[in-house]
Amino acid sequence: MKKSKRFMALALTGAMAMSLAACGGGSSDSNSGGNSSAGGSDVIEVKIWDNTQLKGLQEIADLWTEQSGIKVNIQVVTWDDYWTLLEAGASGGEMPDVFWMHSNNVQMYMEADKLLDLTDYISKSEVTDLSNYYEGITTLYSMDGKQYAVPKDHDTIALLYNKAIFDKAGVAYPTDDWTWDDYYEAGKKITEAGNGEYYGAVMNTSNDQDGYWNIIYDYGGCVITEDHKKSGWDDPNTKKAFEFIGKLCSDVFCSQAMVAENGTDVLFNNQMAGMITQGSWMINTFYQDDHRDQYGWALLPYYDANGNGQADEGERCTMYNGLGWAASSDTKNPDACWSLIEWFTSKDMQLKQAELGVTMAGYKGCSDAFANAFEGMDISAFLRMEEEGTLVFRPYSKYTSRWDTYRPALVEVWNDPSTADKVLDALAAEMNEALANE
Amino acid sequence: MSAPKTTRKKMTKAEKNEAIWGLAFVAPTMIGLIVLNFYPIFYTVYQSFCKTGNFGIGNVFVGFDNYSKVLQSGEFWGSLVNTFKYAIIEVPFSVVFALILAVFLNRKIAFRGGYRTIFFLPMVAAPAAVAMVWKFLYNQKFGLLNHLFGTDIAWVSDSRVAWIAIAIIGVWSIVGYNMILFISGLQEIPHDYYEAADIDGATGISQFFYITIPLLSPTLFFILQTRIIGALQVFDLIYMVMDNTNQALKSVQTVVYLFYDYAFTKANRGYGAAIVMVMLVIILGITKLLQASEKKWVFYN
Repeated sequence: MKKSKRFMALALTGAMAMSLAACGGGSSDSNSGGNSSAGGSDVIEVKIWDNTQLKGLQEIADLWTEQSGIKVNIQVVTWDDYWTLLEAGASGGEMPDVFWMHSNNVQMYMEADKLLDLTDYISKSEVTDLSNYYEGITTLYSMDGKQYAVPKDHDTIALLYNKAIFDKAGVAYPTDDWTWDDYYEAGKKITEAGNGEYYGAVMNTSNDQDGYWNIIYDYGGCVITEDHKKSGWDDPNTKKAFEFIGKLCSDVFCSQAMVAENGTDVLFNNQMAGMITQGSWMINTFYQDDHRDQYGWALLPYYDANGNGQADEGERCTMYNGLGWAASSDTKNPDACWSLIEWFTSKDMQLKQAELGVTMAGYKGCSDAFANAFEGMDISAFLRMEEEGTLVFRPYSKYTSRWDTYRPALVEVWNDPSTADKVLDALAAEMNEALANE
Repeated sequence: MSAPKTTRKKMTKAEKNEAIWGLAFVAPTMIGLIVLNFYPIFYTVYQSFCKTGNFGIGNVFVGFDNYSKVLQSGEFWGSLVNTFKYAIIEVPFSVVFALILAVFLNRKIAFRGGYRTIFFLPMVAAPAAVAMVWKFLYNQKFGLLNHLFGTDIAWVSDSRVAWIAIAIIGVWSIVGYNMILFISGLQEIPHDYYEAADIDGATGISQFFYITIPLLSPTLFFILQTRIIGALQVFDLIYMVMDNTNQALKSVQTVVYLFYDYAFTKANRGYGAAIVMVMLVIILGITKLLQASEKKWVFYN
């Protein structure tokens, strides 16, 4: 039995070594993600969550490195992990130097003083003038007269369609005059023609900002009231919108299980969906697809509430949001962080960001540069959504993540639209409780 | 050996020296344990009694509030049932398969080392990568499994089969590790027993049940105990395979998944901490039961 004990000991040591190695991996990861304390001023660590933007942003950052001599190391993590890591970093004092901020979480970070106060830097800066940026985004990142981030971009939503599928089903392409009912009718025809091979449209419960939220606001409903104090899930107009969404779920969309397993973009690129709604930050995914010649962008359909046959104010809504460049309040090198943020948000670099097709700029007046970035693909629908549609800022509150539970909850509605009333009431109750505790 | 109290107080120089060296040698492990295990454990206990603020600031003591919420939530009990459902498949199957494999691979067969390596390979692969590959295999529309069998089963989206599908990944991942432990246990059973049994005319099957199993019982006990604990803590498989809009998630999510969801996604650390504390008590109870059963069936010679 001696040998057995020896083996157990070995096995346990092995297990321990493995777990230590895991810890080592974790900590070295957080080191490289955190302040590069050893090197001090030599490297600025940047964290973002969108892989498609990495190349363009690194190119812009490298231009800054040429001037400043400070390297910029941009790391990408997925959206979910990003916030987990950033929060852990904020709690443990190991945040990246410069990173993206989002409307979901920014209030929490500003209140806890986790973001570098940029107010003085901005007032001294010869480059940055906040009036040049989209106002809703600028105010989003300010609190008590202090500015904590500078707008990086802004985004709108449009309708993406696959001409090949429309042709196969013999349905006319979407036009700018489409109402949501036209969308439904066309979608239904394609789904019937597809007979399980392809569908008129697909949408998951996670397509909120880039999907059904737009429908809710078109119908006059809301997700959160304007004072950010109460839930809009049980608003009568929201419920009316869900009657329509329910029709889409029954007659147009593929099963929720299928879209959850694959994602709308994968189904679309695999020629299985005629239409999806998409945010402007996703253009590159489709621009780089092999089938891009078949793809077209159109305005989001509208809901003709007053029945006058045209899209009036509030009848064609597009969610809009914008990220901000922020820095850690405990960075070792605040001046360099500011210099990098100033660089990223300067007019020239915002133009360059648009020209490279990274995203639409946070700086006003770069739209044309962005539209021209995608040779051979007309993406003007995103810009026209801004001009012809009604911009609705992405719903948020102080602790958005605490009522961010609707994605799994709405699955029931997708599978059985008759449950919408019950599910929406439950969601509203849960959200109101979360909001009351803020 | 009968050391009186007086001699204990006075250590000789050599003894002192030995004690210091002893401490020095355990220090790396102890420091690691304290920093990486003990401190987080006590901090978790503390948090479970708090309504936690953001970034670890502004915790408010609320007594047993979190615990009563956890114990009254159907979500928690549902997850506990899911966890046991997972364990009930993963533990027995991974142990039985591993034992059978170990018995075969302990014989002198061609490519023995190759087979052992193949079965141990999942243990070396990163769990996240393993989960991703299985996710592709299980995909209803494009997955290899439905393609091969000509079926149309929603392996991970149908709540009736999803928990089994997940547990199969668990079995596949761990079977090689259990097998290696069993092989080591088999190798130290003296050959004399089998020779004696052969002379007595015992069949292979009865040799297995009357010699192999009893003499392997310490290894079996060790594996059972560590696997039960491991299975009750499963998280990565579910996190990687199940999208959070997966309709079967509710019937698969485990207690540790629920903990992650609350503590990290919903930033409600206190509630999350209470969930894992309740789970800790449950695991402690099960371990205690196992230890009590040890005397009854585990045979140390």
